[in-house]
Amino acid sequence: MPETPDRELLERFVAGDQEAFEALFRQLSGEVHRWVMRIVRDESAADDVLVEAFWRAYRGRARFDPSRSFGAWLRRIATNAALDELRAQRKRAGTATADERLAAPASADGSIAQSVALAFRALPPKLQLVASLALIEERPYAEIAEALSLPVGTVKSRVSRAAEALRKELARMGIRP
Amino acid sequence: MTDDEHLGRLLRSALPPIEAGASSRDPWPRVVSRCQAPVAWSWLDAGLAAAVVIVLLLFPSWLWLLAYHL
Repeated sequence: MPETPDRELLERFVAGDQEAFEALFRQLSGEVHRWVMRIVRDESAADDVLVEAFWRAYRGRARFDPSRSFGAWLRRIATNAALDELRAQRKRAGTATADERLAAPASADGSIAQSVALAFRALPPKLQLVASLALIEERPYAEIAEALSLPVGTVKSRVSRAAEALRKELARMGIRP
Repeated sequence: MTDDEHLGRLLRSALPPIEAGASSRDPWPRVVSRCQAPVAWSWLDAGLAAAVVIVLLLFPSWLWLLAYHL
């Protein structure tokens, strides 16, 4: 995250100062929104995740150490909130997605794109998240690892599991990636 | 081109990278009302709290162990 809030503002936030919280929100919400949009890929869902992330940050403010990076801490919270949103979307879509997947075989270019999108959305949320950030948005592994509080090696292995799952699903649809 | 690069291209053609900026609405009022809403207790929270109380009634000396972990 590019902007670094000053220490005094962070200490006021930790103490529960509402104005400091709003100042932090105004400073960082744009960046957080961009980040979660890359994960959930939907404006309205990104708004919900943004609200949820700032609420979680406010609720957990006592655990934040003002000498650490607020942006990195907030991004981790937002990433977890976005992952929860992907899980909820999957639950809501549940049976509909399974029915759509049965109707798959692709032929023309438009339906190839549709099938690819369908295969992507059929990935388990953890894999969908890393596939979105690494394969579509081409974010560096180190950045993704920091946002997920995971070692870079774990992120790499999740990305290759996601790629493998996508290839399998696309092959099943008759598309050779 | 490697298999991974090809897969990446295929994905990006179906799901283009996001160019979005900040939210088009101001979500701050929603953040405020969310923060001011009373926190709801889930059955899990209530169950855990009840379990802790029962354990402490049965083994009062474990209070120190709990205090250490808090």
